[in-house]
Amino acid sequence: MEFGFSPAEQAFAEEVRAFLRANPLDRFALDGMDAGYGSGAHSRAFMKALGERGWISMCWPEAFGGQTKPMFFKLVLFEELALAGAPFGPLAGSWQTADAIIDYGSERLRRDVLPAVARGEATFWQGYSEPDAGSDLLALKTEARRDGNDYVIRGHKIWSSHAGIATHGLVFTRTSREARRSRGFSMFVVPNSTPGMDIRPIRSLTGGVYHYEVFLDDVRVPEELRLGPEGEGFQALLNGLDSDRFWGRFYKAPALERVLRRLVDHANATGASRDAGVRRRMASMAAEIAALRFLFYRAACLLRDGAPITYETAVAKVYADELGQKLARLGMDLLGPWAPLRAGSREAPLGGDISHAYLTSLGHTIAGGTAEVLRTTVAVRGLGLPAEPRRA
Amino acid sequence: MDFRPSSAQQLLISTAREFLRKECPPERAQQIALDPLGFDEALWRRMAELGWQGLLVPADLGGSDGSLLDVILLMEEMGRVGAPGPFVPSAVVATSLLLAAGSADQKKRWLPTMAAGERIVSVALAETGNTLEIDRHGRLNGRALFVEAAHVADALIVAARDDGARRLALLPADRPGVTRQPQETIGPEKLFEVTCDAVSLTAADILDRQDAGFEAFQVGALARTAEMVGAAQRVLELAVEHAKTRVQGGRPIGGHQAIQHACADLVRDVDASRGLLYAAAWKASEGEPAAADIAMAKAYASEACLAVARRGHQIFGAIGYCEEHPLHLLHKRILAASVDCGDVAQHLEHVAHAIGLNA
Repeated sequence: MEFGFSPAEQAFAEEVRAFLRANPLDRFALDGMDAGYGSGAHSRAFMKALGERGWISMCWPEAFGGQTKPMFFKLVLFEELALAGAPFGPLAGSWQTADAIIDYGSERLRRDVLPAVARGEATFWQGYSEPDAGSDLLALKTEARRDGNDYVIRGHKIWSSHAGIATHGLVFTRTSREARRSRGFSMFVVPNSTPGMDIRPIRSLTGGVYHYEVFLDDVRVPEELRLGPEGEGFQALLNGLDSDRFWGRFYKAPALERVLRRLVDHANATGASRDAGVRRRMASMAAEIAALRFLFYRAACLLRDGAPITYETAVAKVYADELGQKLARLGMDLLGPWAPLRAGSREAPLGGDISHAYLTSLGHTIAGGTAEVLRTTVAVRGLGLPAEPRRA
Repeated sequence: MDFRPSSAQQLLISTAREFLRKECPPERAQQIALDPLGFDEALWRRMAELGWQGLLVPADLGGSDGSLLDVILLMEEMGRVGAPGPFVPSAVVATSLLLAAGSADQKKRWLPTMAAGERIVSVALAETGNTLEIDRHGRLNGRALFVEAAHVADALIVAARDDGARRLALLPADRPGVTRQPQETIGPEKLFEVTCDAVSLTAADILDRQDAGFEAFQVGALARTAEMVGAAQRVLELAVEHAKTRVQGGRPIGGHQAIQHACADLVRDVDASRGLLYAAAWKASEGEPAAADIAMAKAYASEACLAVARRGHQIFGAIGYCEEHPLHLLHKRILAASVDCGDVAQHLEHVAHAIGLNA
């Protein structure tokens, strides 16, 4: 048992903090909304700054331009960035896509896409959900039809985060109707500039745009843009979703810790800190955030050690999302009549971040696997309870 | 970072689990729990043969030279079976206190026999209900509440006011003027009111350091947290087993999402409690300041493990309501542990201070 960080990890954390001190965050232009997950807004400028330091590709093999740093360096980077409130929105997606390309991408993807990821220039949206394929992803209708050395993709994707400002989509398609339910799917890495794509913003209940829907009207892509063997896309998708639960939520605990610290300052300033109920709720929240952090670290150790993961990331993801909602609720309570003021309002406490967090957090227990679907995953895959009968 | 117990710790865990399965089966734990004055001296002695009561005691004082982490892992196993006996007050809190603050003579007189399972020392440290005071003749008057296993204790370490200061004294339980009255709880813990009526104290009774109570109390809080985690883990296992095997309407109840989702929440509560526990115990065992971590772990586990117990009852349905079913004892064990060595309110207040909330 060991709960400390190695000297190398500590030195890297200090390097990241030094970078953040030297580069005040207001210098980086923001291009896309902060959806409250803890990774901040989408900022190409910030991603490029991370790329310049070699931090995006630091864990890749040297053959792909990386430095083969251990996985925990990514966790250190995430924690330091999230504690600082940095805008690294696309980073988790870049890492996951790059890992998939390194594992089973074509030479072309490795040659064309990886260097751009490393520089922080290539970012990705997920083309998984469709209007009639939400929790039941396999009901998707988007098809990729083979045509010589190309595929022609036709369909309608929705709830794709930052699709309008990212550079490539990961488009999940059906490539065969004959194969049984979980076979016959393929994933493609499609540049946004490909003709036939119509990417339309969806304004959210926050007033801002985070999601897009994407209409693919006979989008022609060469077969080298297929990620993995034809028909094996479902496994790639599952790996992606599994990994997303971890990488897309790991930074939630430090991000919530940052919010809690700001609320502590606020409570001290207003005198609410003297209220026994407030003290108790905030202290309890601090304990929950710490507990969440260790759930993720435990999953991280399993991932690092190559140990099997059945339920651990699902438990951590659901807890992260529900705890985020609870903290936002606590924050709104503390702010009283000021709570509903939005960012930009003259009087908004904490820059309106709490009301924004309250709204964005509503989506977190839905995106990337609903809390209900994931609890079922925990019960069936983790505890071995019998699965509910599925339709064929 | 590494959550896995070392191979030596894994051996301790498997030995403890096997020993407790044999020596402390549910019927035995039940019998001791339901007897208001129950104490299994034979079990206590056999535990001592394995070196358990001596884990925190150095070898030169007759101990087995274990670590705080060993105690935590052992307590988890004891929590699983609802093991009876005053392990936490005697082998954890009083032992820690004597090591940290006992005089050389007190250590030599008490620790070897405590480690050997021959003598038991309980503690009266809680401020709640404690009116003990040393008068100007050096005599102890007043009472202390919630003193565990006072009926089988050979001595008590008591906290008493002395002209405004707080003093710690080790008092043989048979000293004239000491009386012990059971408090009668709903659970397996044997709590007593200890009354002192002009009990004479000598300088040799006073511990060397008067500020050591808090540290010992923190070690006790960790042990109680581990006990809760072990008991909650057992509730989770029993509930999942029940959900798989209890058939209603032609299928196991665990095939329904309502039960599945409840079970998923039990996993979260237990795993999250254990993560905080291990991290806090590791930090404390490294000698780093861990008071806030321990307070978080205890407060969190108290809420989470009680939630597990209550949800467990719902999953079990009517059968879990029976006295002969093990569920209520695990539940009551968690309940007792949640208020010993600091309740939720007390630990959360510590955390509130630690995160910088101005009072």
